[in-house]
Amino acid sequence: MSGEFIAFFILSLFTIGGAVFMISFTRVVHMVVSLAFTFLSIAGLYVLLEAEFVAVTQVIVYAGAVAIMMLFGIMLTPHREQEEDAGRAQKVVAFIAVAAFFLIAFFIIQGTTWDPSVHHFTEDNTTMIGKTIFTQYVIPFELVSVLLLVALVGAIILAKREENDSE
Amino acid sequence: MPLYTNNYVLVTIFLFLGILLPVAALTFGRFLRPNNLYPEKQTTYESGVEPTGESWIQFNVKYYIYALLFVIFDVETIFLYPWAVAYDKLGLFALIEMLIFIVLLIIGLIYAWKKKVLEWK
Repeated sequence: MSGEFIAFFILSLFTIGGAVFMISFTRVVHMVVSLAFTFLSIAGLYVLLEAEFVAVTQVIVYAGAVAIMMLFGIMLTPHREQEEDAGRAQKVVAFIAVAAFFLIAFFIIQGTTWDPSVHHFTEDNTTMIGKTIFTQYVIPFELVSVLLLVALVGAIILAKREENDSE
Repeated sequence: MPLYTNNYVLVTIFLFLGILLPVAALTFGRFLRPNNLYPEKQTTYESGVEPTGESWIQFNVKYYIYALLFVIFDVETIFLYPWAVAYDKLGLFALIEMLIFIVLLIIGLIYAWKKKVLEWK
């Protein structure tokens, strides 16, 4: 049993555990904390995959920014502890949806043929990513900036309207 | 040559120390301190202002816009890193690409500015 295996085991335990607690907690702030736990563990998994740049991005963007934003989003809504028992029909529909998603994901994973060769990118991870983005994937990269712009403008429009409503 | 990934053993040790230190300090303190609780001790400010209301209140929507702006420019910064690291090997073309990228986001910032999102009344 190698150290990598142990690390993988612990990290995946934290990832799944955080996700499960996120669903089962009743207080929204606790939910966000457990979600941050999941995000950080996923960053650890990226490190195990030698994708260090992605790992650091995961920490900065997801564990840092997205978790904070979710916290703000939650703080904006009424968030008393509320346990509304879902109706029976709702539970059945939810179960069917989850089961269908599980089956789809399962069969896709089963059907994929993995490239068995192992690549080691650790030494100059970021340089390689930079080169690939700016030679091979230029158009997607520029599209990302358009996407970010659209997100920014859309968010401002939505939040502005909200503010005018509340005044 | 030792494996590069093995450096992460050190990182893990630091991580564990970082978790262990506050836990150990707090547990140690629990055994050392005298245990004598009365209601005044459990208030937020023991000899200060009486807190009113709760801490988990509804925030103003303005905070949310700030958080969103932060996320968007955070993502922009992420794209700057690989560009900066690989800059030597990429040359002028990448510089122009990055300029287009940044200009597009500056348009967003100007829009936010014009919409008076950055002002706090």
